[in-house]
Amino acid sequence: MRTVLLTIVALMALAVLSGAAVVFGGLYNVSARAGHWPITEWVLHTAYRQSVKLRAPPEHEVPELTDALAALGARHFDRACRQCHAAPGEERTATIERMMPRPPPIEVAVRDWDPRHLGWILREGVKMSGMPGWPSSRQDEMWSVVAFLVRVQGGMDAQTYAALTETPEARGPEGLGYCAGCHGLDGRSGNPHIPRLDLLDAAYLTESITAYDRGLRESGIMSHAASEFMPEQLDRLVAYFGSLPAAAEPQPADPTLAARGRDLAHAATADPEVPACAACHGPEANPASPMGPGPAIAGQYETYLGTQLRLWREGARGGGPQAQLMRAAARDLSDEDIAALAAYYASLLPSADRDG
Amino acid sequence: MTTRANLSLPSAGRQAGPGLTSGSARERLALGPSSQLGCWWVLAPFLLTACDGPQSALSTGGADAAQLDRLFTVMLVGAVVLWLGINGLFLYATRRGGRPVSRGWAEALIIGGGIGLPVVVLTALLSYGLSIMPDQRAVGEGLRLRVTGEEFWWRVEYWPDGADAPIVAANEIRLPVGQRTEIELASTGVIHSLWLPALGGKTDMIPGRINRMSLHPTQEGLWRGQCAEFCGLSHALMALQAVAMEEGDFRDWLAREAAPAGGAGGAGAAIFAAQGCGACHAVRGTGARGAVGPDLTHLGARGSVAAGILPMTPEAIADWIRDPAAFKPGVRMPAYAHLPEDELTALADWLWSLK
Repeated sequence: MRTVLLTIVALMALAVLSGAAVVFGGLYNVSARAGHWPITEWVLHTAYRQSVKLRAPPEHEVPELTDALAALGARHFDRACRQCHAAPGEERTATIERMMPRPPPIEVAVRDWDPRHLGWILREGVKMSGMPGWPSSRQDEMWSVVAFLVRVQGGMDAQTYAALTETPEARGPEGLGYCAGCHGLDGRSGNPHIPRLDLLDAAYLTESITAYDRGLRESGIMSHAASEFMPEQLDRLVAYFGSLPAAAEPQPADPTLAARGRDLAHAATADPEVPACAACHGPEANPASPMGPGPAIAGQYETYLGTQLRLWREGARGGGPQAQLMRAAARDLSDEDIAALAAYYASLLPSADRDG
Repeated sequence: MTTRANLSLPSAGRQAGPGLTSGSARERLALGPSSQLGCWWVLAPFLLTACDGPQSALSTGGADAAQLDRLFTVMLVGAVVLWLGINGLFLYATRRGGRPVSRGWAEALIIGGGIGLPVVVLTALLSYGLSIMPDQRAVGEGLRLRVTGEEFWWRVEYWPDGADAPIVAANEIRLPVGQRTEIELASTGVIHSLWLPALGGKTDMIPGRINRMSLHPTQEGLWRGQCAEFCGLSHALMALQAVAMEEGDFRDWLAREAAPAGGAGGAGAAIFAAQGCGACHAVRGTGARGAVGPDLTHLGARGSVAAGILPMTPEAIADWIRDPAAFKPGVRMPAYAHLPEDELTALADWLWSLK
């Protein structure tokens, strides 16, 4: 019995010593050139796949992966993901090829995954692989990239990709092409997920881009974009977009829905329980009365308005120092209220005196 | 049965005896009277404060409260008589020295004192109590009020006879003296209860239904009321003032209340509009028509800010707007701490000037 105990103690001491030798003695070779043993690689990869399958959200949480969503996702992929995974049909750079583990080309990376799995990987990232998590606490944004990746799974070719991510020829401040790729040179994206900037003045745009940059307003896409520029560059870009004339262009909307939205926005429902949107966002009954503190939203895209209102309601939307006013105002909105309000404001003609 | 009846009273007496005369109890009795009485004398003024003041059911200003006060007095006198009677019986039982009473006496005591007396006393009290209940919500004459419990304030609507739209106010109830006014009680989110102790009993305000009470003030005065049903974080900070006015004065006041806000606009009014305050608050006569928060048309004429918890001063209004949750946890109004101090002052001055 004594011998057995002594043997166990001796073995344990030996294990601790050899562990210490590996950690403190630098015995483990961390060289990326050296790579993994096949067995290590198999264990790591299997653990990764099983972990994603266990944790991915259920199928019903995946939104409709529309073309518009994919267009937004393609742009973000192009700016944030392409560097490692390369665009469809494109070769990875020699340096990326030498990463350990090696980021698979995007066509290979998306193979065998369902949208719900892709959504989880994009949101959470993968530990010890170089794949980062989504740079924002938002739970909805990564679906745009998923929508794009689904089309890559469907065999998207290089021309289609190039058309989706084309940078417009622009004369203006540095980085204008980068911004205008999504938002349009005239501030109108034509994509219901990407807000119109021609409606907004420079002061509001400055506040927004600063909030994105400092993480006060949540968006992985916009935080990434803002972090690519220096503050002075952002100032010049804001000045450009803030000076664009608001196009007198209302958005199509369901008239019944819009009518209900109008009643809500003016607190004209039988028993108003929601603060009157019009007091801060217009339109004013009396054009001479001073403007409220909110940004102009008349003529903004319905889809974008709906998304933002849901974020406000969930308390997930930040912004400038007045953001808490809107959080309080949106707290009690129902899904129907949000749909009606988004339709109403989208259907309005932008007010000319709002753009800066 | 006989044995038990014979034993019960004397044995109770014997047990009480030793207990009272044991060492520790004697000490307590010896020390007790002077120290305990001294303590009571110190407390007495504090206890008596509850008998007076603007929020006391014992200092009445209305017919309904007077009726309840009478009921209270009847109950109190009755309770004192019964208490003395019971203690007299105990004393008598302990002084009998353990001699059993006759079976006839014991049965008479149990049946008479245990069944007969309670039936008679409770029936009389119940009849009296029930008989005054309809008076507490008797039909009103002319004016009708609707008070809605909100978190954590009171929406008050005056419906004069024949009116087709109410005169909206908040956090203060004004009533004509010498007249019975019916009050409809509603609630939006959770259960509240309106209680103006000096004017009448309390009635719950339940979401989805209209409860009714009526009040008949008998003298002019200023009374205080309180939410009497736990309604959330700031339940204890949900008060209101009630003003009983002579009928003529009341009519003049109501006419003033119905009028739009007077006075010049100025900087404060511009800030009110520019900050979107009208999303939640109405100030009749301006563009502000919000109905989520209290109507502010004649805010400055009210006795208090924020439903009875702050004095009606420009400083208190500014403090409230800067950070409402500092005064009322859980309040639905957001803070306006981002406003520059001079704008806050101008806004508060203007609101205070809305008489």
